[in-house]
Amino acid sequence: MSENVRRRVQTPPNAGRKPAPKGQTKKKKKMKFFDIGLGLDMPFCLLVLVLLTIGIIMMFSASYPIAYAETGDSYYYLKRQIIFAVIGIGAMIGLSFVNYRIFYRFAKPLLLVSYLALILVLFLPGVNGVHRWIGFTSFNIQASEITKFCIIVFFAYWGTRYADKMQYMKYSFVPGMAIFGTTAILLILEPHFSCTVIVFLLILVMLFISGMDTKYFILLGILVGAAVALMWATGLLGYAMDRMDGWGKALEYTTSEMWQTTWQTRNSLYAIGSGGLTGLGLGQSRQKYLYLPEPQNDFVFAIVCEELGLVGALLILVLFALLVWRGITMSRKASDNFGKLLGIGLTAQVGLQVILNIFVITDWLPNTGISLPFFSYGGSSLIMLLAQMGVILSVSRSAKIEKR
Amino acid sequence: MAQGVNQKFNKRASILLIIILVLGFGAAMFRLGFLQLVSAGDLQKRSVDQQLSDTELSAKRGTIYDTNGKILAASASVWKVVLAPVYFEDDTERRIVAKGLAEILELKEEDIYEKTQQQSYYVEVKRQIESDVREKVIEFIDELAEEHEIYSTVYLLDDYKRYYPYGSLASSVIGFTGADEQGLAGLEYQYDEVLTGEPGRLVTAVDARGIAMPFEYSQNIPAGDGSNLVLTIDETIQSIAEKYMLQGIEDNAVFNRGVCIIMDVNTGAVRAMASVGGFDLNDPFTLSKEKEAEIQKLPEDKRADARYEALSNMWRNKAVSDTYYPGSVFKMCTAAMALEEGLITEESTFTCHGYYTVAGVELGCHVRDYAGSHGTQKLREAIKNSCNPALMQIGELLGIDLFNQYYDAFGFSERTGIDLPGEADDIYFDRDTMGEVHLATASFGQNFAITPIQMATAVASIANGGYLVQPHMVEQITDSEGNVISTTSTEVKRQVLSKETTAIVCDILEENAVSGSGSNGYVAGYRVAGKTGTSEKKVDLNEDGVQDYIASFCGFAPAENAEVVCLVFFDTPTGGAYYGSQVAAPVFAQIMSEVLPYLEVATQYTEEELAELDTTTDTYIGLSVDEAVTAAENNGFTTWVKGEGDTIVAQMPEAGTKIPQGGNVVLYTDTESIKDTTTVPNLVGYNVSDVIYFASYYNLNVSISGMSNSATSTSYSQSIPEGTQVSPGTVITVNFSASGGTD
Repeated sequence: MSENVRRRVQTPPNAGRKPAPKGQTKKKKKMKFFDIGLGLDMPFCLLVLVLLTIGIIMMFSASYPIAYAETGDSYYYLKRQIIFAVIGIGAMIGLSFVNYRIFYRFAKPLLLVSYLALILVLFLPGVNGVHRWIGFTSFNIQASEITKFCIIVFFAYWGTRYADKMQYMKYSFVPGMAIFGTTAILLILEPHFSCTVIVFLLILVMLFISGMDTKYFILLGILVGAAVALMWATGLLGYAMDRMDGWGKALEYTTSEMWQTTWQTRNSLYAIGSGGLTGLGLGQSRQKYLYLPEPQNDFVFAIVCEELGLVGALLILVLFALLVWRGITMSRKASDNFGKLLGIGLTAQVGLQVILNIFVITDWLPNTGISLPFFSYGGSSLIMLLAQMGVILSVSRSAKIEKR
Repeated sequence: MAQGVNQKFNKRASILLIIILVLGFGAAMFRLGFLQLVSAGDLQKRSVDQQLSDTELSAKRGTIYDTNGKILAASASVWKVVLAPVYFEDDTERRIVAKGLAEILELKEEDIYEKTQQQSYYVEVKRQIESDVREKVIEFIDELAEEHEIYSTVYLLDDYKRYYPYGSLASSVIGFTGADEQGLAGLEYQYDEVLTGEPGRLVTAVDARGIAMPFEYSQNIPAGDGSNLVLTIDETIQSIAEKYMLQGIEDNAVFNRGVCIIMDVNTGAVRAMASVGGFDLNDPFTLSKEKEAEIQKLPEDKRADARYEALSNMWRNKAVSDTYYPGSVFKMCTAAMALEEGLITEESTFTCHGYYTVAGVELGCHVRDYAGSHGTQKLREAIKNSCNPALMQIGELLGIDLFNQYYDAFGFSERTGIDLPGEADDIYFDRDTMGEVHLATASFGQNFAITPIQMATAVASIANGGYLVQPHMVEQITDSEGNVISTTSTEVKRQVLSKETTAIVCDILEENAVSGSGSNGYVAGYRVAGKTGTSEKKVDLNEDGVQDYIASFCGFAPAENAEVVCLVFFDTPTGGAYYGSQVAAPVFAQIMSEVLPYLEVATQYTEEELAELDTTTDTYIGLSVDEAVTAAENNGFTTWVKGEGDTIVAQMPEAGTKIPQGGNVVLYTDTESIKDTTTVPNLVGYNVSDVIYFASYYNLNVSISGMSNSATSTSYSQSIPEGTQVSPGTVITVNFSASGGTD
């Protein structure tokens, strides 16, 4: 083992590389900002649009009773979401024509932006003591949306920059944990527990595909276990703990307080179960009639399950799976490492959010606020998401261009 | 090595894809599949439970009518205040609602606050609120919505409240209901299921704020209103009975209430059943002031028990729940048994020495106290004298077995099965050890206890030709729309006696009512038969060690082809007089003197009666003074013309009033003079002729009631009290009784 390591250490960084990096550096010099042309990955693009369409329809179906109850306008959320979608699609198309390599250059400043946003948000007035949004009166953006993107970009950069040093602890494990640790502290101060989890998983994904040595994952597992135990013991989990109270016990509440705490999850389960195999039919959800709080947000998929049944829910999950599959396989063919890492990272983020969201609404994870891509209402996250899809498309285009 | 890096990357990308797709998506799909297929049933049920607002709709409790359709008990619409605490969003809201409702409904804030914490759509806060409170609640609900944005947490539902228009009338028979309108006593309890009806349900799909969802999801199962009872009780007869019973209780300082049962002898339909004094059905939990004061004097820890005892005593329907020694009333049964068996005839004679010795035990006759002995008497005299030795001899002739056989046949050993709750069993001798002495005392109605309703039923069988009928309270059950559901038909349990036997007994009892021990029960104009009874309450000597008595009278009319039997029973008279003839018989006479005309029982007057027979006044209005005076005098009245006019404009008494021959008719010729009044004199304590004289002196008329044809008859009450200002010519009913106590 030690011999092995030593041998690796002796290997020069760029030794034995294909000419491709050379081409890359060459291309870098000639890099164009706007590369107009065909080569968009149509299946991926189509999947995005199909999911977005279904998502908006279902978000509308889930939200109109609450929209009516809150604002008197059943279309309140629909109208806004459509506007966001239009902006988002614009951003997606726009970014698909932007050479993603520009992010390589801005990886470090972007990480700084992420930290600044996370710090700034703490000084902004929060909602119910929760500081997540950098607000303008009508448009808010979640600081964590910026963070997730910036971290993926940074680690794609890092994995590319130190591709040959990933087996060393100080190039993989140390920066990974340093960035996670600092980001996590800021996120927990917000507090935004679910995003902390996603950031953690994203960093793991990035380190994994960047080639971090397996033994560090084992070490990480031990550390995480110890950290969670420590946080648990010190009560640092505070807010998350509160949210976790009744986790997995939504149907077995015993106290009035617990009944209140688990209200959302319980009603989510009611909705999912009520759907059965084939569902109550589009628009026929009953749980959305104010039983399930905020059905337009994190729990939109519970209403989807209720209305479209298991059949509809699985179909949508299959679409998501296809999107993930397409996104990853396509990114693998990217012309450069940065593109590969960036594409896979951004795709993985979508996949992780879908999985975690399903786990939350089915009471497998504590209810901590993970939105469902394309479905959950929210301007900043939807625009951000579509923009990221644009970046993936840009990567795919590079792959196709390479092929040509 | 580059190959290695790329390979590693591709491998890891594949692993990542597999992890995300297989582990991640796979697990998510598995979880959804589990929830939507395996747990679906349970989850669906839970969600439907919370989405359906299930509201109970009160059914209107049936009405209780008397036999003529007068309402004795009815439910009126009121409201109930209900909480749906699931809609509370926080504790502040709960506090606001609890505080507001506590003020309006006069309840404790903490109690309501506790109710607001239940996770339910339906928690009753207060029932039976009236419209003024309802208005306040509606205002409060508006205020909650407008000022505090609290919705759907408080609402009003229809409710009903039981009203008893006649208050205390037949209170122990009708009974009353509790807070939930559940029958707690009397017929309300007995027929609770019939009266209650089926509560309905309103099931609606509602959103989490309690507003109906836009689904065809609402199901209204209307409340099935309860059925109505039409009683055999006649409010008029009941009122008459209660009026005189109350008077009797007052006059004789009766300690432990009295009972009056009036029953149709042929059908067993109970026309009146009074346990007087009763209680106000609209307020059944309030004791009389005296009783309440008594309880307040007790130490605190004993009050609750004392109150409970006092209440159950007050609610008790003595007519079916109390047992008593029937005493001499029972003698008619003993005599009938022996006659039926042919052991005696009317001509049989019995000798009384003032006592009779059975198995070495000397048993006395009441005559011993004042006249020594009855001597030798025929059956008729023996009954009229209420002679104990005679009855003991008859009992001896019957023997224990035969006596018991008839005791059973008369229905004393079984409950009558009347449709009232709490019927008591008789208390009789142990038949295995029953001896001669037991038989001797039983033959004159002592040492065994039966219920008043059993006695009345047995007497009815003597009155109706020997048939034991099933007494009952409910004539008909009708549904909420008035359709007849069921009608009670006469049920004859068995024939106890032959017509020949009952004819003899009835004849003897009739004579008894005219000239025997029961003469105070005589009702002029009617052939009344009856027997007095005075029984010792040996079982419970009172605190002073003085013997308590039950004074009773049971009779029927007319003596032949009887229609009604009436049993009057006073428990523990403490006013000095305690004999049935002194206490119960006059009350019987008063009651029957009003009930029999009401029932249109044919009158049959004796010759002496005809002489003083009441005559009906004609209309003299519109006639000239001379014509009117002539007409009235032709009718046998004395006239007195008042006023200056030429024609009669008014008369007193009014046309159609019955007054005695020679009574006063005042004829008014102008309206001024109508205002003149005269003062009612004292008419109590005089014989008949004195009373008539005093009355005419004051230009008043009297109606004679009770035992007036005896030399010893004395008036004991008058219908209008002394000193009252009345118009001249007003008719005052004066009741007479023969003095001197006989058992």
